[in-house]
Amino acid sequence: MLLEVEDLRVSFQTDHGLVRAVDGISFSLDRGETLGIVGESGSGKSVTNLAILGLIPQPPGRIESGRANFRGQNLLTLPRRELQKIRGNRIAMIFQDPMTSLNPFLTIAQQLTEVTMLHRGWKYKQALDHAVEMLERVGIPAASRRVNDYPYQFSGGMRQRVMIAMALSCQPDLLIADEPTTALDVTIQAQILELIQQLQKEEGTAVILITHDLGVVANVCRRVNVMYAGRFVEEADVDALFAQPRHPYTLGLLNSLPRLDEQRGARLDPIAGQPPDLTNIPPGCVFHPRCPFRIDRCPQEVPALTERIDHRRYACFVDVQHQARVAVKENG
Amino acid sequence: MNAASPPSAEVSHRPQAAGERPPQPLLKVENLKVHFPFARGPIWNRHRGVVRAVDGVSFEVFPGETLGLVGESGCGKSTTARAILNLVHPTAGHVYLNGQRIDGLNDQAMLPYRRQIQMIFQDPFASLNPRMTVGAIISEPMKIFNLGTEHDRRLEVLRLMELVGLNPRFLNRYPHEFSGGQRQRIGIARALAVQPKLILCDEPVSALDVSIQAQVINLLMELQQRLGLAYVFIAHDLSVVRHISHRVGVMYLGRIVELATADELYARPRHPYTQALLSAVPIPDPAKERKRQRQVLRGDVPSPDREYPGCSFADRCPWAEPRCTQSPPPLEGQPHPAACFVANDPRSPRRQ
Repeated sequence: MLLEVEDLRVSFQTDHGLVRAVDGISFSLDRGETLGIVGESGSGKSVTNLAILGLIPQPPGRIESGRANFRGQNLLTLPRRELQKIRGNRIAMIFQDPMTSLNPFLTIAQQLTEVTMLHRGWKYKQALDHAVEMLERVGIPAASRRVNDYPYQFSGGMRQRVMIAMALSCQPDLLIADEPTTALDVTIQAQILELIQQLQKEEGTAVILITHDLGVVANVCRRVNVMYAGRFVEEADVDALFAQPRHPYTLGLLNSLPRLDEQRGARLDPIAGQPPDLTNIPPGCVFHPRCPFRIDRCPQEVPALTERIDHRRYACFVDVQHQARVAVKENG
Repeated sequence: MNAASPPSAEVSHRPQAAGERPPQPLLKVENLKVHFPFARGPIWNRHRGVVRAVDGVSFEVFPGETLGLVGESGCGKSTTARAILNLVHPTAGHVYLNGQRIDGLNDQAMLPYRRQIQMIFQDPFASLNPRMTVGAIISEPMKIFNLGTEHDRRLEVLRLMELVGLNPRFLNRYPHEFSGGQRQRIGIARALAVQPKLILCDEPVSALDVSIQAQVINLLMELQQRLGLAYVFIAHDLSVVRHISHRVGVMYLGRIVELATADELYARPRHPYTQALLSAVPIPDPAKERKRQRQVLRGDVPSPDREYPGCSFADRCPWAEPRCTQSPPPLEGQPHPAACFVANDPRSPRRQ
C-alpha cells in the first residue's frame, strides 16, 4: 500500500462550538491507483487531504486521532522538517483555484525551478531546462518563451497546466487533486482531465481526486468514496457505485442530477432538507434526518462502514436497492 | 427570421390550434450589441480598443416559455441579461417587451417595465442585503411599486414564503441565518413579489450543491407551471439548461451560434462548437463514459477584445476552411439555425 489512512479525526474550535469536520475515516491507496472522494461542500473532503499533508493550522484545528502511513512513515506525527521533504516531492497537490495558488510576483520559471532546486538539489540551469520540458509535456505552446511570463499572462486553463507541471516536476508517488477543474469551463475541463489521466498513465502516479462532480468521477476514477458530514458513507468501484448505489445518500445524489443522457424535463428527485450543522451532528446515522429509507434503528445507532455485499463497503442498515425496487413496484 | 421560430405546441404551455397565428413574443431582442471601450498602456503609447461582450444577439421569448442561454465564461450571456434590463446600456440593437421598445429608456421611464421583468442572481450571498430581514427583502419591490397597504404586503410576503418553500416563521430572520439554497429561495420570492411575466435567471443554481440545486430547479419549474412565467435561463451547465429549457441558444464570444428546441439541440447539434461543448460534459455513468468519443477542443476561448472578420470560432474549429475567416457566418439553416458555413453548405460532408 502506498497510503493507508486510519480513523482520521479532525476538529476545529469555532465561535459556534466544536466542528467535527472529519469524523473517523479510513482508506487506502495502491501505487498508480485513482481514488475519488465525492461529497458536497462542507463534507470534509478537502480537510481530509490537508490533514494528510500537515496543512491544518493548529489551533483552531486539531487532529484528534488517526494515522496516515505513507511508505511506512506516519505523516501525522512526522516532524515538520521531514514532512517538507515529502511535500511537493513524493506527494504533490493541485488546488481548485489556479489563480491564487501561483505567486503573482514571480515568473513561471522562478516558481517551477524552486521545486527541483529544493528537492533534487539541482542548479538553476538544469532546473530551468526541466521546467521547460515539463511545460511542453503539459501542452503549453512556446514553452521556452512562456516560462519567463508571469501568471497573469496565462488563462485559467493554462495556469492549471502550470500547476500540474509543477506538481509533477519531482515525479511524485501521489498526486492530490482538490477540485482541479471546478473553476474551469467544460471544454477546458475536458483538456485538463485528459492531461491528468495521460500523465498518470505515463508516470504511474497514484491520484486522489476530490470533487463534487459525479460526472468527473465517472470519467476519471476507478474507486470512489462518498463522503457526507465528515464520514465516508459508501466505498465502491466506480461501475458498481453508479449502477447500484447502496447508500441512500449516494442514491439521492444520483437522482438529483439532470443528465444529458436521459429524457428531458422529468421531475428531479432531490434529497430533502439541508446538510447537517457540523457543530450539532445528529445522533445515530448522520444522514437519517434526510433519509427516505429511515427505520427506527437509524437515529439510535451509528451504522459502521463495513463490507456487506459483493466487496462493497457502505454505512447503512437498510437494503436500499431492494427498497427502491419495492417502491417502484408499488407505484407503477 | 429563423431564429424566431415559436416553441412547438408540445413545449408551449398554451395549446395552439392548427393554423392559429403564433402568439406575440413577450420579449424580443434584436441585434443587441454591448461594447465596452477600454484603453490601456501608458499615455504616450495608449492602446485603445473595444471589448465586444455582446455582438449582435437576437432572440424571442414567448409567454410561459423557458429560453436557455449556455456558453462558457466571457461569452456574454450575463451581459445580455443586464442589457435587457437596461442595467448596462446597449451599444446597438433593440429590446421589445410586449411590442414596446424598452432599450434606451431612462430609469424613470424604465420603472413600469421592471415590474414585468425581474431577475434572480447567481450568488445568493451577495444579492441579499445582510442588514434587512427576509420580510423586508421580499416586500421591498412591492413598496417600490406602491402595491397594497403595509398589511397587504405582510400577508403577501407570508404567501410568497410559503410558495417558495420557506417557513413563514422565519419572516424576521436575516440572510446569514439561511443556507445557500434557502437564500436562493428568498431571491426567488423577491422576484415574484411584483408578479412579473418574465424572470431573467442568471446562473441561479451554479453556486449550490447538487442535492440543493435539484430542489431549486424543481421549484422554478413548478412556479412556471403555476404562474405561467417565462424564463431566460442563463447557465454554463449544459445538463441543467437542457433539463429546464424549452429552447436553447448556444453563445460563443458575444454571439448566438446555434438556436433550437432543447431536445433537438442536444440530439442533433449542428454547430461544431455545440458538438464539442456537448461532448466535453462528463456523464455520470462510467460505462457510457468509456465508450464516448470525446472531442477535445484545442486552445482557450479567445479574448473578446479582438475583432474577427470571420467566424470567431474558426481558430479552434476542427472544420475551419478559408471562407470561415473572411466574413461572419449568419445564423440560418434547417432544421434549426446555426451560424456555420460548413454546417449550412449542402455540398459539405459534415452537414447533418
